[in-house]
Amino acid sequence: MAGLMAMAKEQKMKMILIAISAALSGLAIIGQGYLFVQIVDRIFLKDNSFSDIIPYLLWLIVALFARTFFSYLSGRTGIKMATKVKADLRSVLLNKFSRNPMQASLQGQSGEKVSVMMDTVDEIDSYFSDYIPQVIQSTIIPIMLLVVIFMEHATTGFIIIITAPFIPIFMMIIGFNTKDKAEEQLDKMAAFSGKFLDTIQGLTTLKLFGRSVEQKEEIRKSSLDFREATMVVLKTAFSNSLALEFISMLSIGLVALEVAIRLIIFQDITFFTGFLMLVLAPEFFTKLKDLGSAFHTGRGSIGAAKKLERELEETADLVVFGEESLSKEEPPLIELQAVSFHYGEDAFALKNINASIRPNEEIAIVGKTGAGKTTLLHIIAGLVRLLEGKIMINGKERSHFSEKDWFGQLSYISQDPYLFSGTIAENIAIGRHADASRMEIEQAAEKAGLTELVGSLEQGFDTPIGEAGRGLSGGEKQRVAIARAFLKRPSIILFDEPTTGLDLQTERILQTSIKELSKNSTVITVAHRLHTIQNADQILFLENGELLSTGTHDELLESVLAYREMVTVQRGGTVQ
Amino acid sequence: MKDLRIVIKVLLVEKKDIFLSILCGFIAGITAVALFSASGYLVSKAALAPPIYTLMILVASVKMLGIISALSRYGERYFSHRGTFTMLSNLRVSFYEKLEPLAPGIFGKFRSGDLLARIVGDVETLQNFFLRVFYPPIVLLLIFFSTIFFTSFFSFEVALILFVGFLLTTVLVPSYFALRQSKFDRKVRESRAALSTEVTEFLYGFRDLKIYQQLEGKEKQLSKSTVAYLQEQEQESVHNLFSQAMNTFLSLLVTVCVLAVGSYLVVNGELDGIYLAMLVMVSLTVFENTTSMAIFPSHWQDSKQAASRLHSVVRNESIGKTQMKQENFQTDIAPKIEVRNIRFTYPNDSRQTLDSVSLNLEAGSKTAIVGPSGSGKSTLLQLLLHLYSVDEGEILLNDIPINTLTEESIWENANVVLQANHFFYGTIRDNLQLAKDGLGDDEMQGALSKVDLDHFTLDDSVLEKGENLSGGEKQRLAIARAMLKNESLWLLDEPTSSIDALTEAKIYQHIFSEAKADTVVLVSHRLTGLEKMDQIIVMDHGKIMESGTFESLMERKGYFYEMKKIEQSVFLGG
Repeated sequence: MAGLMAMAKEQKMKMILIAISAALSGLAIIGQGYLFVQIVDRIFLKDNSFSDIIPYLLWLIVALFARTFFSYLSGRTGIKMATKVKADLRSVLLNKFSRNPMQASLQGQSGEKVSVMMDTVDEIDSYFSDYIPQVIQSTIIPIMLLVVIFMEHATTGFIIIITAPFIPIFMMIIGFNTKDKAEEQLDKMAAFSGKFLDTIQGLTTLKLFGRSVEQKEEIRKSSLDFREATMVVLKTAFSNSLALEFISMLSIGLVALEVAIRLIIFQDITFFTGFLMLVLAPEFFTKLKDLGSAFHTGRGSIGAAKKLERELEETADLVVFGEESLSKEEPPLIELQAVSFHYGEDAFALKNINASIRPNEEIAIVGKTGAGKTTLLHIIAGLVRLLEGKIMINGKERSHFSEKDWFGQLSYISQDPYLFSGTIAENIAIGRHADASRMEIEQAAEKAGLTELVGSLEQGFDTPIGEAGRGLSGGEKQRVAIARAFLKRPSIILFDEPTTGLDLQTERILQTSIKELSKNSTVITVAHRLHTIQNADQILFLENGELLSTGTHDELLESVLAYREMVTVQRGGTVQ
Repeated sequence: MKDLRIVIKVLLVEKKDIFLSILCGFIAGITAVALFSASGYLVSKAALAPPIYTLMILVASVKMLGIISALSRYGERYFSHRGTFTMLSNLRVSFYEKLEPLAPGIFGKFRSGDLLARIVGDVETLQNFFLRVFYPPIVLLLIFFSTIFFTSFFSFEVALILFVGFLLTTVLVPSYFALRQSKFDRKVRESRAALSTEVTEFLYGFRDLKIYQQLEGKEKQLSKSTVAYLQEQEQESVHNLFSQAMNTFLSLLVTVCVLAVGSYLVVNGELDGIYLAMLVMVSLTVFENTTSMAIFPSHWQDSKQAASRLHSVVRNESIGKTQMKQENFQTDIAPKIEVRNIRFTYPNDSRQTLDSVSLNLEAGSKTAIVGPSGSGKSTLLQLLLHLYSVDEGEILLNDIPINTLTEESIWENANVVLQANHFFYGTIRDNLQLAKDGLGDDEMQGALSKVDLDHFTLDDSVLEKGENLSGGEKQRLAIARAMLKNESLWLLDEPTSSIDALTEAKIYQHIFSEAKADTVVLVSHRLTGLEKMDQIIVMDHGKIMESGTFESLMERKGYFYEMKKIEQSVFLGG
């Protein structure tokens, strides 16, 4: 909660505005009580005429308007505060994510991050829009009421002062003792409510095994268990408010009794004072009760706040770039000097990689699953920041060159290229900035073997794909990625070669496309095909994050045992 | 509204809780009114110096009313929540009853599990229907009418004002705001969806955005969507707040009217002054109950949407499955399967998934269906299971058209492993016992060891959706479950895609030794271990490219041969 409170304090002006609104609405509440009583008193006991009280009635309307207006104003300020906080949080998160989302997407946490950005931030809302205004109101207004009560009739004040503290004490006895138990129950509740989803999601399996009908009773049973567990928690909450109600009833009753006795037996107070006490005392307790319910709302935001804090704690490192321009004409010389990288402590690491990639070379990165092949590709691409070491471009550190120039000559064809929601043409055009003509796009698509597919679609190149559009098969996505590369004409191509599952046509297109693209560029491939490896000018053979050896296929076969073993195991089961 | 009626029907089963909630709510509300009116009367009476005993009676009744009010408030909360959760349980069961016959075909309509989660969320949303929509207006109505009735003994005019105030604050004003609410609601949802898409694209497509230098533009777009969403949200909140404030002010205004008219009547001698304070207190208290109406519109809206979404799921039942299915499929020995010239297109897809596919599977034969991803091989298997109905052509099981058979009887006779196999929260034993009744522990443990899952005991726990199992473990568990079922037809959809080659070979050995006399259909994306199959069917783009034994296909040097060559050259490296 500390974090949330700090965020609230940053918006000092709004907090002050809420406090002022609370004070003014407190004044209005007092005025309202005063005027009500005044009017009744004048009519009932003082025999005033109706016209005498008309000004009071008008003032009363003003007071009532002020009361609702200021409480509206404080709520509205709270909402504005929430909006500001949510906007800030989202922009901080966005900033964070834009620096380091590679890690998230590599660890398969993208979905989680989406939910943090959307839901968790929204959950913070009630803290600012409900909790804070309520707390401020419930602090200021009861004190004001108490002051007035003391001024008018101190005995009532004493009765309230004596009875009111019982509320927190009582709450502590009932509520806070059971807090841990309640939280434990909440976990159970979550498990129960998951059961229904679990069953629905598994309905196909259940049906295939002929078990779906009997699940009905299971659902009923677990729902009823859920009810029992929930009721245990709720009963505590209900007894809390029962206690609160009893205490306020007791207090108000005592006030009434004392007032009545004073009026009749001692006759030392007026009807006006007595009635005023009876009107103000319930207002006091209502505000206290509101505070109780506000605590509930506030609690919900705490979990969300904790989650956000964790998210923001994660360190993010930005790859550094400079200003110098980089020629696009010739592929550059790329040198990796003692490069190291790891994803957080204890996580997988790449250690001390040294390599030199000459212009127009074909490089194959080879190694077992988990050897760090894709990570190395990300390092070369400049998507993740090095822990140690340097990457030299044409003999100069890469951090000197401009980001735009670097990425401007780079294409990355991954195993699962991402399609953005937009048309096919737009998805290809992303390969270059918006200046690509339709003609160029069509040519690129033709080279990537997309013409037939596009021709079969009613809207052709304008068919929407991606999130909201039509789904493409794995092979078709690969071809879109190839088309992007043809449009961009990069001097460095990073290629994560697909394993299996592609259709023969796409296989052929991939091979010929890469061959054509490689004519004028350096191609660095995470290789899964033997012929790719055999044709490579240089193989980087990785094992457990270390560069075990470099060389051509024949050289490695001869000199590196681990490489030879891997290749022979692979070739072992094959016919040919 | 029609959808909500169905919910109400489910709700009305819990008559006792409904009755008790309403009763307690009424008592709590009316005693609160009585309490404050009594205290107003008390103080007025006291001002006239009455005999002490009248005062004692009044004070005692104030106390008693207070206690009754607090207790019934407790009762109201207790019964209404209990009723709500019982109703939720009934609702789940009734929804499940409707959904169950439509599965699994209906799941084709849902693109992702998220939608399914939302449906479950909709059921949860409906818990507010009883709690915030259904019974509070009834209670409110009862309290108001009793109060108005009571007031009319003292002053007809005041009673009339209360009645008009009631109409204003509970019917007219809320419905006006509800009308506007739905507009805000739609806008918030739209802007939220837009932002969600942007965030998703930003995070999932980050690498491509970065490399193609589109990150900056995307960030700007995202910030814009954030602002739009926040604005809509803020407008909605402010609107809600305003409607609440409006209602409060109106109800306070009614009290002012009561006071003014009351005063006027007192001055003219038509009302005893002693009742004035009481009437003011009555009015102030009774309108406190209307605050529940301020949140009524949004809950009403939510409930309506949730109900209609739920019913839209189960309403359009049996699309494409309109055949009479009386016959039960029964077989003790391996069945034969014939597929005649079928075509199939998924609902809402413009592309045909299967195009004139015919094949013949002899009883006891072993068939592999291979092809690249997206070739339609899994779809073919799903059609054999009759998870969907073909658009054209027919499928015969033992010469009986599959349309005339009940699906349950087909599934009963098949050992199935699908690509996505569901595991339930519970133990390994619970999940295996799905296969068949009366399975012994030895049998289950034996099946586990056949799929190389010896390291599990039957009592090991399985989390929801098998979250604590690896992909390979899930597949092996699914195979074990299918083995335990021990029927004579095997339909396996890439059952070992996440299992290493060595274990795969071992498991296949077990499967084929158990399935010696059975009909087996195996969809596979790997081309290894197919040498012993009676028939290999090669598919691409929804068509059968070629079929035959492993040897004949290799000799033909066609599609399969090419695929095999690529596979051989693929260097997985482990």
